[in-house]
Amino acid sequence: MTKVLEINDVTKKFGDFKALDKISFSLNKGEVLGFIGPNGAGKSTTIRILLGLLQANAGTAQIFGEDVWGDAVSIHERVAYVPGDVNLWPNLTGGEIIDLFLSFRGATVDEARKEELIRRFDFDPTKKARAYSKGNRQKVALIAAFAADADLYLLDEPTSGLDPLQERVFQECVEEAKERGASILLSSHILSEVERLCDQVAIIRQGEIVEFGSLEEMRHLTRTQITLKTTENLSQLSEQSWAHDVAYEQDEVVFQLDSEHMNDLLSFLQPYHVIKFESAPPKLEDLFMRHYEAEEGVK
Amino acid sequence: MMKDQFVQTSRLFSFSLKRDWLKIFAWLLGLVSLVAIGIVAYVELYSDAGEREMMAMIMTNPAMEALLGPMIGFDNYTIGAMYSHTMTIIALCLFAIMSILLVVSNTKVDEEEGILELLRSFPIGRLSHTTVSLLLLILTNVLIGGVSAAILYVFGDQSISLEGALLTGAIYGMIGIFFGAVALLMGQFTTSSRNTMMISFGLLGVSYILRTIGDSGYEWLSWLSPLGLLYRTEPFVENNWWPLFLLGFVTILVLIFAFFLQQKRDMGAGLFPEKAGKRQASSFLKTPTGLALHLLKTTLIVWTVAMLLLGITYGSVIGDVEGLIGDNEVIEQIIGATAGMDMAEQFLGMIIGLLSIFATIPVLQTFLSLKGEETKGRTEKTLTGVYSRTNILFTFLGLSLLTSLMMQFAQLLAIGGAAAAMDFDFSMQNILKAGTAYFPAIWFSLGIVVLLYGWLPKLTSVAWGYLGFAFIVLYFADFIDLPAWAQTLSVFHHTPQLPQDDFSWQVALVTTGLALGLMFLGLIGFKRRDMTD
Repeated sequence: MTKVLEINDVTKKFGDFKALDKISFSLNKGEVLGFIGPNGAGKSTTIRILLGLLQANAGTAQIFGEDVWGDAVSIHERVAYVPGDVNLWPNLTGGEIIDLFLSFRGATVDEARKEELIRRFDFDPTKKARAYSKGNRQKVALIAAFAADADLYLLDEPTSGLDPLQERVFQECVEEAKERGASILLSSHILSEVERLCDQVAIIRQGEIVEFGSLEEMRHLTRTQITLKTTENLSQLSEQSWAHDVAYEQDEVVFQLDSEHMNDLLSFLQPYHVIKFESAPPKLEDLFMRHYEAEEGVK
Repeated sequence: MMKDQFVQTSRLFSFSLKRDWLKIFAWLLGLVSLVAIGIVAYVELYSDAGEREMMAMIMTNPAMEALLGPMIGFDNYTIGAMYSHTMTIIALCLFAIMSILLVVSNTKVDEEEGILELLRSFPIGRLSHTTVSLLLLILTNVLIGGVSAAILYVFGDQSISLEGALLTGAIYGMIGIFFGAVALLMGQFTTSSRNTMMISFGLLGVSYILRTIGDSGYEWLSWLSPLGLLYRTEPFVENNWWPLFLLGFVTILVLIFAFFLQQKRDMGAGLFPEKAGKRQASSFLKTPTGLALHLLKTTLIVWTVAMLLLGITYGSVIGDVEGLIGDNEVIEQIIGATAGMDMAEQFLGMIIGLLSIFATIPVLQTFLSLKGEETKGRTEKTLTGVYSRTNILFTFLGLSLLTSLMMQFAQLLAIGGAAAAMDFDFSMQNILKAGTAYFPAIWFSLGIVVLLYGWLPKLTSVAWGYLGFAFIVLYFADFIDLPAWAQTLSVFHHTPQLPQDDFSWQVALVTTGLALGLMFLGLIGFKRRDMTD
């Protein structure tokens, strides 16, 4: 497996503040890597280092085997970037800006693909950029990125302003890019997006990589939180293999359910008289908390 | 690897040029018109050699030299000599201002920084963006210098030699490139466009003050200032080219340093890291007044210091002025004197007038910071809160009025204080009266801005144009016969110049009344219009 992107022990300080502390992870060719973490964890800083905008204080970062700071220009010929906050020149139209961005890449533009993307994203390229909402500004960057034939996509919370329909289009674009042989680094808060698209996940927290591995290995990310209230006693619940962190609070039971075992839960509940059944997808913050509490508990 | 730093510079350059050409053209037109007006007027008015000889004698006094620079070509005060003597310093300042604004808007302005991130993700060299800004700077200044030289040569008389004209164009261009380079370098140290501008303008101000003090006695100081240095090229008289080359050399050093830093630093960072601030907002900060003051704090401090320094500079020079040379029509023409008036007082009157116009700048800036808040979308938060639109407008208006008081008194006290230190025989009271007479004019200018902001917020820059126009009328009206209609339009022209003119309650009341009327209309417009963002 060729490594398209490799970060080793990268540290970055801003004055006294340590934004990144010896982070390491990698991305294989043709894969999608989810890069997740709480706000301020260092995701954008990492991406900026990868783009050669900031210089790491220690460690190495390489894309296509080249140094990200020194060989930035040749790397960028094959990289497409979508920032979380897209700023544009107010007096140009969206269409003009997309063409401009594509021209900066130097390669010939696939007009058909560009037009198709404009149509799919339901984007009006004739409006001046100052009139665009945040979502539309993001579409400019997305269309310019996916219309290009890049080998690596660096996406920093690219869908934060998009509606659910456009979110779907975005995910399709990622899949298509993957089929073309491209590799994608996706930084996102949207867990469902990460679950659906990513092969590997790196979790960053306060400047440190706390988890890096395949999604399969991190199954616990896909647990669902269940709150149950029944007339009978539910003590038998804690014995079930698919029920984790079972907590009895007053007259309710709260626990984490391995999502693929939902049917087992329902079968289990058959004989009971259920008063309340609440199911909620886990919040990112909660995941971290549980992840650490479990680890510390073990230690 | 070195070549990598500049990849795609040409494409970026043609894009930036297409985007900015109108702005550059407007500046060019404005500045070059001034050159044209100057030379055409001089040729028309001062064709008589005898008259020019008289002018030369009058101009040879410390006050004039402080304002304009040391006498040039006294023995043969040709049109060329006169032009170089009187127009050089002001032209250099204007060209420098333009270049600073140009460079900052192309590099530091916030949107640029946001766009810059995306641009740098393309295969574009790390230095390309900066290089493009430099190329635009050079192109603009070469154009301005070239066109200025052409205009001078075409409209001038025989004393306007080709060499002199080229030299004049060259120094105009050179000062622009120098201060543009300074702005580029300062941008490496600061994180915001506002700070870059302030520091760059501050350095220009220091150059001016050094030159002024130097030319009123300590010549070596003037040599240290780029303005003083280029002045000593003395186009049409001595035609020294070497000061130009010297400044050019210094400029190259500045640029090398700036590019070196640009290549090394992280994007978006200055070399000085941000310091942590307060944890909680004080209760004062939570009021509109408190917030506004917090935003304006630095600007107000900087401007007060500037007014004090300028006042001190000019005040200390007035003390040297000798008595009148004699009643003469030519003298009347120059300083608009009526027979028998003390020349020093004339000079004082003009200085107070010029500084009053200058003091209007921070007054307008204070009010326009409200507009800045609106365009950044922050007024929404304030306006959807407890404070009404009227309240907020009045807050900023009140602060602007306070600013006018502060700035005006700063300059007046500084002039008076410095003059007193130089044993100049005057009355502080008269100085204060003279300065106070300008308040209605300052408020009128503020009224124009409020009106524009209330009804046509996109056009508030017109107010700056008006102020510039008023400045030109005041500065040149006595050198050049400006048409009466132009003079009437400037509210500062209507203000009586004390002590020679009498204070006119009529003018003061009418002007103030108009000012209040404009402000009131502006408030109405502000209340009814949509908030733009």
